[in-house]
Amino acid sequence: MNNILSYKRNRSTCVEQMDDYTMKSYCRFQDTFTEAYVEIMVCLPDLEITGATGEFTRSLRNECLIDINESLKRVIGVRIGSGMLKILKGLMGAKTDCRELIFMVEECCHGIILAFTKKKLLFSPKDEKEKHEYYANMVKENIRMYNRCAAFAPGSSFVDKT
Amino acid sequence: MLKYSRNKLISVVREDHDTLSVHGILDDDIYSLELNITVRISDLQIITINGKWNRWTTPECHRAENLLNEAVGFRVEKGFTGKIHKVIGRKACRHFANLLIECCFSAKEAALIADMDDNAGRKQEKAVDESVKSVKSVIAAGPDISSKGFIIDLHVHTSPASPCSSADVNLLIEEAKRIGLDGICLTDHNFVWEPAEVEELRQRHDFLVLAGNEITTDQGDMLVFGLSRDIKGIIRLKDLRDEVDRAGGFLIAAHPFRGFLTFGIGELGLSAEKAMQRPLFKYVDALEVMNGKVTEKENLFAAEVAHGLGLPATGGSDAHEVSETGLYATRFLEKIKGERDLITALKSGKYMSVEYRK
Repeated sequence: MNNILSYKRNRSTCVEQMDDYTMKSYCRFQDTFTEAYVEIMVCLPDLEITGATGEFTRSLRNECLIDINESLKRVIGVRIGSGMLKILKGLMGAKTDCRELIFMVEECCHGIILAFTKKKLLFSPKDEKEKHEYYANMVKENIRMYNRCAAFAPGSSFVDKT
Repeated sequence: MLKYSRNKLISVVREDHDTLSVHGILDDDIYSLELNITVRISDLQIITINGKWNRWTTPECHRAENLLNEAVGFRVEKGFTGKIHKVIGRKACRHFANLLIECCFSAKEAALIADMDDNAGRKQEKAVDESVKSVKSVIAAGPDISSKGFIIDLHVHTSPASPCSSADVNLLIEEAKRIGLDGICLTDHNFVWEPAEVEELRQRHDFLVLAGNEITTDQGDMLVFGLSRDIKGIIRLKDLRDEVDRAGGFLIAAHPFRGFLTFGIGELGLSAEKAMQRPLFKYVDALEVMNGKVTEKENLFAAEVAHGLGLPATGGSDAHEVSETGLYATRFLEKIKGERDLITALKSGKYMSVEYRK
């Protein structure tokens, strides 16, 4: 047609270390219809959500413009880790129809996990052969990773080594 | 201290009536990946997927790219995210799955916009059709002189008198004769034809050649008849009105809505009623409602305004090339022999604008 952009979405998620025992993860979302912000506080070392706040300053959907903080309070106490998505959806879904709000909390939680993943990956070997062994060991030590993505599926060089 | 950051940027372009092209980028401290997908608007079905890694972690990450095609045929509907997590997240890569979900939900929002645009377009087309219909009926309701009269193209430009024209005056007159016009009026920009020179053209071609001017004012271009003063530069319309009155001449607003209704400006809500309030219309004797250099919509709008104000309407080709002569013209009831006859006829109001050879 005219090659003019008809819709644009920006989502930015950041994680900050507040002190030795606290991390903050926040997600900012802006698109043609919506502008929103969600922030969670997480305590270390058990990765429990200790606080959650947010605001939708602009939205096409009325369900997102009501006080979302009531819904966000329900995630306080949830531990970030395996099975968290189901728990978050279950807890918040009962209180909000704002799908985007749940998604933003998920993003914040993923941010926390990836902040630790990054730390781990900084120590992965540079050498290709060593790298293969490193990831093969990772699968061996963390069996939940097996068959969870193409890299750790049967036929991959990591899995063949295990 | 910032420990980690992730940015996701999605842009959606409407390729055609039923296709959205979505480009998504996910870039964080660890991964960088891109997706190009196409989605059908009518049923939000994924038609194509193309994924690309920019940065990755394991040497096997690239295996994920081909597996993305397993989501072709998926629709953005209830249960969609679960399906993507299960198929793309597990078989291919959860980071691609994450980005794909963002792309698909963005497509859903863009489809909403497409629907809004289509509805707005339909409403606008309908409004324009209605407006065209009503203005055409206004024009049709004018004096019924369509089968008789004397037809003059009241607005032509010649070279070199008008620097913007490439039409030689002799060729232009020959063309006007050939197509059966009864006369033409030379309305060069801020240029005064010598009466003797015009008379010589009449004699040489045995054809009615009249002289006027197109004068640029602070309120736009005006066709002026009966004024012999050579006006250079831009004059205030009020001052021009005074001069024309002193000379006993006639003043027509040329193409009064040229450019007013195009390229977004038309969406500002300029109604004929609002347009009628423009101060310039207090100073003119008639409106040029058929001009060869503006759109049909602008001409129709001018006709609507002229009708609303009760001002007479004229037509002229605004020819700058020989071939443009006579596109529009003005049909008079009586035969016109010279400039004085023309002014008398214009003041009588007994004429109408006509599409001559459009």
